[in-house]
Amino acid sequence: MNNTVLWYATRGAGAVSLVLLSAVVVLGILSVLRVQTTGWPRFLTVGLHRNLALMTLVFLTLHIVTAVVDPFTHLGWLAAVVPFSSYYRTFWLGLGTIAFELLLAIVLTSLVRGFIGQAAWRLLHWLTYAAWPFAVLHGVGTGTDAWSAWLFTLQAFCVIAVLAAIGYRFMTGSRDPLADARSSFQGAVDRREPR
Amino acid sequence: MEIKDTTQERVRARDAAMRLLNRLTTGAAVSAVAGVALLGAFSAYTIPGTTSTTAGTSTTASSSSSTSTSSGLQSSTTPVTSSSSSGVAVSGGSR
Repeated sequence: MNNTVLWYATRGAGAVSLVLLSAVVVLGILSVLRVQTTGWPRFLTVGLHRNLALMTLVFLTLHIVTAVVDPFTHLGWLAAVVPFSSYYRTFWLGLGTIAFELLLAIVLTSLVRGFIGQAAWRLLHWLTYAAWPFAVLHGVGTGTDAWSAWLFTLQAFCVIAVLAAIGYRFMTGSRDPLADARSSFQGAVDRREPR
Repeated sequence: MEIKDTTQERVRARDAAMRLLNRLTTGAAVSAVAGVALLGAFSAYTIPGTTSTTAGTSTTASSSSSTSTSSGLQSSTTPVTSSSSSGVAVSGGSR
């Protein structure tokens, strides 16, 4: 295969992965907020979040494989696995490696959620908030054309979407419909405990 | 009877939502594949280190020392000379 095609595929897959990852983060936040309408039940948000997360892994794999096999950079498989081991743009590429490994950990633990328990899964799932900015910084720092109009627009769109979702989450707080019932039940239990 | 109707309504709504989920997932997958091709093409056109050039096609040479061809390239009548000098390092090119 022509190595130029590989290089362009790396860029295309990387940009698509960033868009997908941003969509996954936004959908994850919306599912926490229990957003639903009559035509959009909550399990749809959760299902789409899960499907897009798996899809992100597929395109990230394409991004990494095409980058590694591209003979121009000679990255090698070690750079794809061990952060900051690449001779080529060491720091920025290392951020991408970390983001991929965090995402892999998040997806794998989600698949075995029943075995590891809800608390451990939730704790690991918070890593998403680290994986996403690492991925954005990797794109900005490693991408040769990061400041070209199309990629800058794409990255700005992703950043704005995720920041808006995070801001919305912090503004609205928990939307758990059973939160009041749970707290009153917990209060009743606490009152009974001294006896 | 009313409970049965409500249950069937909920089942229908759930099935509709599942179909929507499948359609959205398929649409996202197709869009992502198309996106790789499209963004790869964008990347190819905007890659730094390359320049787009346009060649004139209808130039008429008026100078006596050169003539133009239909492609706009001029053929010189002055003799070609060669010179030697030290190498020049060029930086800034990248992929």
